[in-house]
Amino acid sequence: MFPNRPRRTALAAHPASTAEPAFAAEPASTAEPTRGSGFSRRGFLSAAAAGVTTSLATDMTAINGLRSPALADELKRQDKRVILLWLAGGASQFETWDPKPGAKTGGPFRAIPTNVSGIHISELLPGLAQRMQHTAIIRSLNTKIADHGTAAELMECGRRNDPGIRYPDIGAVVARELGRLESKVPDYVSLYTSTEGRRKGTSGFLGARYSPMFLSDSMTPANILRLESINDVDHHDRAALREALAKRFTAESRSLTVDSHLSAYQRVQGLMASADLFDIQQEPEAVRAKYGSTQFGEQCLIARRLVEAGVPFVKVARAWWDSHGQNFETHQELCADLDHCMSALLDDLQERGLLENTMVITLGEFGRTPGINASLGRDHFASAWSCSLSGAGIRGGVAYGKTDPEGHKVIEGEANAGDLFATILAALGIDHEHEYMLGSRPVPLSDFGSKPIREVLA
Amino acid sequence: MNPNEQLATEAPAEPAVAPTPRIPTAVKVDKTVSLPAISFCVAAGETPGQIFIGMSDFGVHRLDLDAEKPEAKPISEARHGSYVTGLVRSGKTLISGGYDGTLIWWNADTGEVIRKAEAAHAKWIRKLALSPDGTRVASVADDMRTKVWDVASGQLIADWGDYDIKTPHGYPSMLYAVTFSPDGHWLATGSKTGQVLIRDASSGEITGRVETPVMYTWDPKARNHSIGGIRAVAFSGDAQTLAVGGMGKVGNIDHLEGASRIETFAWQSQTKLHEIEDTQHRGLVQALRFGPGDAWFVAAGGDNGGFVSVYGRADGKLIAQEKLGTHVHDFTLAADGGSLIAVAHNQAVRLLL
Repeated sequence: MFPNRPRRTALAAHPASTAEPAFAAEPASTAEPTRGSGFSRRGFLSAAAAGVTTSLATDMTAINGLRSPALADELKRQDKRVILLWLAGGASQFETWDPKPGAKTGGPFRAIPTNVSGIHISELLPGLAQRMQHTAIIRSLNTKIADHGTAAELMECGRRNDPGIRYPDIGAVVARELGRLESKVPDYVSLYTSTEGRRKGTSGFLGARYSPMFLSDSMTPANILRLESINDVDHHDRAALREALAKRFTAESRSLTVDSHLSAYQRVQGLMASADLFDIQQEPEAVRAKYGSTQFGEQCLIARRLVEAGVPFVKVARAWWDSHGQNFETHQELCADLDHCMSALLDDLQERGLLENTMVITLGEFGRTPGINASLGRDHFASAWSCSLSGAGIRGGVAYGKTDPEGHKVIEGEANAGDLFATILAALGIDHEHEYMLGSRPVPLSDFGSKPIREVLA
Repeated sequence: MNPNEQLATEAPAEPAVAPTPRIPTAVKVDKTVSLPAISFCVAAGETPGQIFIGMSDFGVHRLDLDAEKPEAKPISEARHGSYVTGLVRSGKTLISGGYDGTLIWWNADTGEVIRKAEAAHAKWIRKLALSPDGTRVASVADDMRTKVWDVASGQLIADWGDYDIKTPHGYPSMLYAVTFSPDGHWLATGSKTGQVLIRDASSGEITGRVETPVMYTWDPKARNHSIGGIRAVAFSGDAQTLAVGGMGKVGNIDHLEGASRIETFAWQSQTKLHEIEDTQHRGLVQALRFGPGDAWFVAAGGDNGGFVSVYGRADGKLIAQEKLGTHVHDFTLAADGGSLIAVAHNQAVRLLL
């Protein structure tokens, strides 16, 4: 039924009371290849046969055991990071990456040349036009779904949920694949301040370990600061005592459950220590000025601080692009914000030597209609729209795919959500065909049949 | 109750020697003509049925509603580089302005381009206004500058700033509206953030300011952007009253679903006279004109649909109203106040008042 894909990682719920891992290790010489994890489908099935269910993986022992530092070390050493600029509500491809000046559907804006010969983008993005060497545009998304909720789920997860299975979003997958067990910073941070279309993000079957740290009401995480009733000395003394006792205990009784417990404590301590990462006042005034005073600018700066500190995935949502009325006014306002803030972000990442390993994505749930309605708006449109990928693993200065002269349909290089998901993973060095095993069900990281767009990969 | 009766009771008594102004009692569609593109602005031609229209095909079109088969046709093969959003006529000269920042002088009869002022503004030109004597044209644009040009020579006469380039929230502001007072002495402009400046049209000295902050429609919580702004300003015939048009508070700024909103001011004393909101006919008020006699004014605009409404100047109450199929961007009012021609999204509509 499914293609024969050899690279698998087993996931399953594991009774919390069980001290031993649910997965049996097998010799590397096993006939069924693995991804170097020491675990195999056969081993997993043995465990499953022993009573492990195929429901969601909620037990950290099981997951973290599988993702011990021995796993995918080479990938993690590369320190790849992702900043997703989520253009919530759906930005217009005409007013961003795929302008059609002079066409009946084109709107009033001009196309301007970029610093890459032959590539033109909307005049609303003059800063990004001068940084096109970092960016690949994909102009040929046909994702078919044009209602906010379902489309957002599709574009975040690279596929639609199936009955009985909730897929993780791109942030959770990247957090899992690139996050380090020993990391003291969050693996996945999501900032979504506006209330319209707010989505927290989902780790799906990967479980709570990969859920985002979600910031909505404030740009600083709640409840991570030390209680005022405990002074700093007491706080550190308590931690030291706990660590000493834990070491003595683990010396006598080592298990994945205990390791997971220790890891959880370390992460909490790390998160408490990471509060400063969200404080942009720690940045020099000159840096803050580059990002500007808008909320989106400040959040992009936080994103840079987080990836610099090792957070694998940061999502910054900029709402709300749903321009059913006054599309051109809306894009004048929001594109100015996007252009300024993303330009500052790319520059900052480059100056710090981070851009090579950090991918910056612009993506929303869909694009906007070619037709201009009587409110001078554009409505939802998922048949021919655009996104952009910059930085890590991306061949910059590329415009991939083509739409017809009025932007009604894709005429070259059609790509779907799964293909985009596969492309992002491939650019990060993650095997998009790698399979998670949910019980006996193999689930590839990107949807079945999806393929990376090789033309945009470095 | 007949709105006119109410108005007659409440309006201040006119001098005995003055003729009683004609006040419309109804607004009715007389004729509708489909247009080939989105129409943004209109200027009256030399005959009652003739108009010139600035459109989304980057061209200026001529239309005679009294023709046997009315059809809008471009006056020239020449075009702007973007939407045409401002248009005035002074005798045989048409002047258009567009989102390309260019002003073009045209021969209204032949369509010949007389001159171009490229980069007249650094950003979108939003609207033009002609001085009552037909010698000067004012332009406003998103570079937040107000410029005055000599109609005959094309020379730039004045260039005034005084608006912030950015909104208080750090986004690009916009300067949507401009009008001369009927005596040509004053020039009023209105911005996205709800600020009206009234200047001496010769010296540029700012002599009055009024504000309509509700029209800004900034949504800081749900959607983090704005959609409104002051879209229309108009002086009464005696230049004492200033009407300002836009949209009221919006719950969902994805759509133009706020009540259409007009505020009137005795601008010299900075006194607000009326706040008028129409919750049945929603959307932006895009154009305002006072009728002859100064007792009433017309507002037009819309969301997806459109409206043309007549209000009493003295009490701000609705006198008559007509719903239109699509959003009205501009209209020209006949000198006798008996009719108007509106350009809606893709229609030209003559209405009788």
